[in-house]
Amino acid sequence: MFRKVLIANRGEIALRINRACHELGVATVAIFSEADRGSLHVRHADEAFCVGAGPVASSYLNIANIISTGLICGADAIHPGYGFLAENARFAEIARDHGLTFIGPEPSVIAAMGDKATARRIMDESGVPTTPGSGILANPAEAAAFAAQIGYPVLLKATAGGGGKGMRAVESEAELAAAFATATAEAEASFKDGRLYAEKLIRSPRHIEVQVLGDQYGDVVHLGERDCSVQKPSHQKLIEETPAAALDPAVRDRLHDIAVTAARAVKYTNAGTLEFLVDGPNVYFMEMNTRIQVEHPVTEMVYGVDLVKEQIRIAAGERLGFTQSDLQPHGCAIEVRVNAEDPDNNFAPAAGTLGRVEFPGGPGVRVDTHVYSGTVVPPFYDSLLAKIIVTGRTRESAIMRMERALAETHIDGVKTTVEFCREIMRDERFARAGVGVDWLPNYLANRVPTPA
Amino acid sequence: MFENTIVERVRPLAQAFSDGGLTRLRVRDGDFEVEFRRAPAAVSGAVADARPAGEPAPARPVDAILADVVGVMRFLRPAVGEGMTLDGDRELAYVETLGIRNPVRSRGPGRVAMIYVTDGQPVEYGQPLFAIER
Repeated sequence: MFRKVLIANRGEIALRINRACHELGVATVAIFSEADRGSLHVRHADEAFCVGAGPVASSYLNIANIISTGLICGADAIHPGYGFLAENARFAEIARDHGLTFIGPEPSVIAAMGDKATARRIMDESGVPTTPGSGILANPAEAAAFAAQIGYPVLLKATAGGGGKGMRAVESEAELAAAFATATAEAEASFKDGRLYAEKLIRSPRHIEVQVLGDQYGDVVHLGERDCSVQKPSHQKLIEETPAAALDPAVRDRLHDIAVTAARAVKYTNAGTLEFLVDGPNVYFMEMNTRIQVEHPVTEMVYGVDLVKEQIRIAAGERLGFTQSDLQPHGCAIEVRVNAEDPDNNFAPAAGTLGRVEFPGGPGVRVDTHVYSGTVVPPFYDSLLAKIIVTGRTRESAIMRMERALAETHIDGVKTTVEFCREIMRDERFARAGVGVDWLPNYLANRVPTPA
Repeated sequence: MFENTIVERVRPLAQAFSDGGLTRLRVRDGDFEVEFRRAPAAVSGAVADARPAGEPAPARPVDAILADVVGVMRFLRPAVGEGMTLDGDRELAYVETLGIRNPVRSRGPGRVAMIYVTDGQPVEYGQPLFAIER
């Protein structure tokens, strides 16, 4: 086992990793930007180093300062969390070259899966179904030729993409040139890689993903699926749950099998997630995320497995401590993302100082957060303030519990998604389960905003 | 009041003061009061100039030279000493980051009023290394 782990992230996930390390008896080093000096992840780490100014390029993406911190502190491993450098193969390589174990898969696997077009090609070759898609598109004309071949609508996607950035739905050829330009610019700005590919757009599929764990000895298991279909118009996830309700058991089994097959095919190690679009009986591989995900707690709650500890154990060379048949899910879990965003204004992110902050408690409630009363929410980072996770024996009881937990939640000072998500918990269509990814955007389009 | 006022309240204000290119900023909130003033010739002295309101300004402006990388402090031979007069923009030391030498410069003439670090000490981003009286 490692002696000391550098946590190359911020916010709730940095705190989450810190907790896993301490429960394993591993010392921690936090990094922080000048804007995050008062964050809980800094307070709870054994050591903490400021690595740059507020903007991410100066701090959380500053590879030299982060690796340097690891060396100065005598860390023997780096946990990248999600976002920032988590899927940066070069960072993983540099860490390794400096004697720091990267807690994640091999850099070559990160690179292959991180390039979405390459990942699709590898999956195709492994017999994993993918949506009809193009290779890298050099210009709008190539995109138009592809679209003419498979028919509109098509989805332009950044090959370096994620989080809905650099993604545009195109309904007709008339929209194509403008969409190509904006998606390229967005991808360039977000990932420093403007290359796009196109896919057949499946209308209103469900977004269902499968969690896998692989150790360094070739053993791979899945930990079920997560339904992340409740997404904002920006394609960012808002509410996630497991198991996926109202899903044909045969489709569920197929998703699990495909995920394990695909992970084996790329010799995957550590925690990873394969994202699929599910359209009735059809499943299509979308992408693989080679990191821990924001919504990992719902899986932890029903499987009783600490995924972050497993990541650390696997990276330290330990074998998986369980087989597939040991892993039996119990009940249902739902997660709500509490973001500093205004649901009445297209989820515009908000920055500011938090006033009174109260989180829920009681049976079956888990809160992962780095904020407290008085926290300054800087404008530089994503707007996630907290994740509220609940469990229930049934989906219905979990929804009731989430409604109750959100009613106990108070965050003053910035607009948040708390009340909006509570509204969703009371929605009759959400209760019936099985909504597609276009459900929330349509819901918003027809919604009368709550009076301020 | 939080146990660490500097961390919780002064830092973000200092940042805002610095980023905003302001010359004077006073914040009053209950029993908490802080004032920032930019010294006329200061290049990077926003943090160093923070002091409780009502206290007189120092006779001479002082610049804090801060680390802009994370690494290990390395002094030159002979090492710079407190009280030393600098006739121009001088290299005072360097911070070693992954084997790369990042010079720490005085950013102009002055007198070395304070040395906050020792040779071989790990330093973080934004850590005060030297105070230079102009």
